[in-house]
Amino acid sequence: MKLRLLISLFLLLGLYKQSLAIEFEELTTNKGISFWFVKDSSLPLVSLSFTFRGGAVLDPKNKEGSTNLMVSLLDEGTENFNGNDFKLSLKENGTKISFSAEKDKIEGSFQVVSSQIQEGFWLLFESINKPLFEPQEIDKVKKQIVASIKIDKSNIQTQASEKFNKLFFKESKLSRNVKGSLSSLKNISRKDIFEMHKMNFTKDNLVIGIAGDINPDKAKKYVDYVFGELPMLGKKRQIPKFETLAKGENFFEMESPQSTVIFGQRGVSRKEENYFAVRILNYILGGGGFQSRLYKEVREKSGLVYSIYAYLIPFENDGVIIGGFQTRNETVKETILKVKDQWNTMKKEGINARELRDAKTYYKGSFSRNLTSTISIASLLKVVQYYDLGRDYFKKRSEIIDNLKLKDVNLLASELFNKNDLFFMIVGKRDI
Amino acid sequence: MKLTSLIFLFILFSTSVFAEKIFNAKSFELRNGLKVVVIENKRAPVVAQMLWYNFGSGVEENGKSGLAHFMEHLMFKGTKKFPDSYYSDFISKIGGSENAFTSYDYTAYYQVFPKYELEKIMQMESDRMVNLTLSEENVEIEKKVILEERFQRVESDPSAKLDESMRSILFPNHYYGRPIIGWKHEIENLGFDDVIKFYKKYYIPNNATLVLSGDVDFENVKKLSKKYFGKRKKGTPLIYESVIDPKLETSVMVEMRHPTVKQNIWKKFYRVISYKTSLRESLALEIGLKILASGSSSILYENLVNKKKVFSAVGGYYQGLTRGEGSVYFYAIPNKEIEFEKIDKIINDEIDTILKKGISKKRFEIEKKKFIFDSIYERDGVLNPAQSVGEAITIGIQLDDLESLNNKIVNISLQDVSTALRKFRDNNNFVIGELNN
Repeated sequence: MKLRLLISLFLLLGLYKQSLAIEFEELTTNKGISFWFVKDSSLPLVSLSFTFRGGAVLDPKNKEGSTNLMVSLLDEGTENFNGNDFKLSLKENGTKISFSAEKDKIEGSFQVVSSQIQEGFWLLFESINKPLFEPQEIDKVKKQIVASIKIDKSNIQTQASEKFNKLFFKESKLSRNVKGSLSSLKNISRKDIFEMHKMNFTKDNLVIGIAGDINPDKAKKYVDYVFGELPMLGKKRQIPKFETLAKGENFFEMESPQSTVIFGQRGVSRKEENYFAVRILNYILGGGGFQSRLYKEVREKSGLVYSIYAYLIPFENDGVIIGGFQTRNETVKETILKVKDQWNTMKKEGINARELRDAKTYYKGSFSRNLTSTISIASLLKVVQYYDLGRDYFKKRSEIIDNLKLKDVNLLASELFNKNDLFFMIVGKRDI
Repeated sequence: MKLTSLIFLFILFSTSVFAEKIFNAKSFELRNGLKVVVIENKRAPVVAQMLWYNFGSGVEENGKSGLAHFMEHLMFKGTKKFPDSYYSDFISKIGGSENAFTSYDYTAYYQVFPKYELEKIMQMESDRMVNLTLSEENVEIEKKVILEERFQRVESDPSAKLDESMRSILFPNHYYGRPIIGWKHEIENLGFDDVIKFYKKYYIPNNATLVLSGDVDFENVKKLSKKYFGKRKKGTPLIYESVIDPKLETSVMVEMRHPTVKQNIWKKFYRVISYKTSLRESLALEIGLKILASGSSSILYENLVNKKKVFSAVGGYYQGLTRGEGSVYFYAIPNKEIEFEKIDKIINDEIDTILKKGISKKRFEIEKKKFIFDSIYERDGVLNPAQSVGEAITIGIQLDDLESLNNKIVNISLQDVSTALRKFRDNNNFVIGELNN
């Protein structure tokens, strides 16, 4: 009896130690925008993280790169600032603003020191609501993107992932290069850029997380100020599921002593019930730090690579597992075989009880690392909303992890992993 | 009474941001010479531990380049008490993250993890300072990994090869001219005996600084560091002999041609003063170069990218946290093909015009403000503060100087900045490089 009490006390403590709940508020503004919020005054800083559903998938055909070009112009001149004044004002007001166009969304972040909060939000307002897209700025930024596409073409690692995306995702719009191409950039007009701006920045396809030294009422006021006048799309933007994905191998020749290989197969979407189980399987196979099977087999035991990894990309309705490594041209075949072996072992044998236990404690313990900075808290709040994981997600999360059973996880492994479904993109010099 | 207190409050407010210490770090030294720094921050129940050794590739003997970095990799191979990958596996299963890095002047190991495991992590870090159990096989396999790393970082990247070559010319005498990862042919010849000798000689408590940042308690850290690191025996401390490079009296231009290069890039590396030589002059140079060349709001960018449209990008930055001389890196991406002697002239002429005209007070004040605001951002997290404090102390900057950097920035004048930039413009210790095909 005593022992049992002790054990349950221990368990309770253990649970307490690991299921650190995060207290947030869900706020709704006068203009109907809702967002999640954590007040944290340990530093005089406010961080805001936001996502617009949209991104490069919205680019018209033959005008690929439009969204990225539009986003790159947001700090190059607005109604009240020319580009240079805007950037100097950011510095003068301890403000950081960044946007990045991705395949299926636009990510943004905004940070300001508390004393300059009004000025900072003004700058964010201007960049989102009042960009001018002046012709000479468009011309300048196009040249910069052209240079960056050319630099990407000289870089074996970027080449590998570009070629991989293009072939792996087949007809899906996800196969596109976010930056577009040298020819598609030429086709983008100023009118197109305005159009992309209107299409991407819609109030009802926006999610926001805020953390830092600000009161909830003020936060609501500023959210309305910045985002309140954006148009509505009237529906939630959906990305069509991809039909098929490529399998097998493809090779692209590039002069280099070492090849870069990117590989992948279908995964699951973030909303799928078994997402966490897949996450755990991938962690054991190729994720995390230095503990994964791929790391141990291919690097530690064989010395074939310096880095090897696999990670999940969850899209709205789909997901993929992507991996990669670099190895000398002459050891590409051997390394690919090792990856396939690991894939197959995962399918045939699954994971063992110890691996499952360690992965569970990893995911429970690593959560608190999200809470170390205001921007990581804001981003966490945003991601949970983006994937509709629910208001109770932070409480539910530990439970989801605890409830994973070895048998079920291994059944999933046997269904999901398939070495014959893998697609390998190899860029390097063929070993003859 | 009311008035005076108001005035007093006002003064307090306006000066507090400068008088405030940036990190509020506390430090002490163990009897064996290990320095310990604690930066308390209780926002999340997370701790970052960093152990900074005050040596990097700089201590390698001739012909043994890459040995310090090789050793860093081998530090993950386990001890008698915590064999094989026990340490890494432990960090993973508690939800932590870890890594290590080697530079010219230091080698550092770090972990970020839930605070409840502080004692065990400190115990394991202290253990691998002396108790590593290496086999010949470990060393041979890891050598292959490191060669792959060199292939990945340098051999398959023409731009990195150009940088390596430019540094070797810029620093003909100092170890800064030798790649940290090592020359390929020398890595190939490193062996078990080299590694063991290196480990025994340098991995001692009096060559190291332990930094703990996050949800820790100063008194507890004191107790635990005594318990685990206190038992490590003091060794012969490292004494750096200062090596000085000669003036570069030839003009050197390096060209890297490679068929995969699709965009020409122009680079220029300078040898300049470091924070160790003069904190004041370095800060002036730092501020000056930020105004001149940092990011897309700099004067060079404004004039050459926005107005004259010669480049699609141009910029430069200063790396002054070094034990030896510091460096400045400049780069430009031309819009059309321009001969690279011409690029140098375009930039030099532009700098001359800017200096002649003088830097505006407005830009100067903005840059100083930004410097102070940045110090707030720097505290937002657990690893960043440990990184900044650990690096500075290891290089030989005093903790007090680091803590009061904002105060020092306030005292830099526009005149200091102009002087620093003029001196920089007159500096002939540079190498120019071009990447093309």
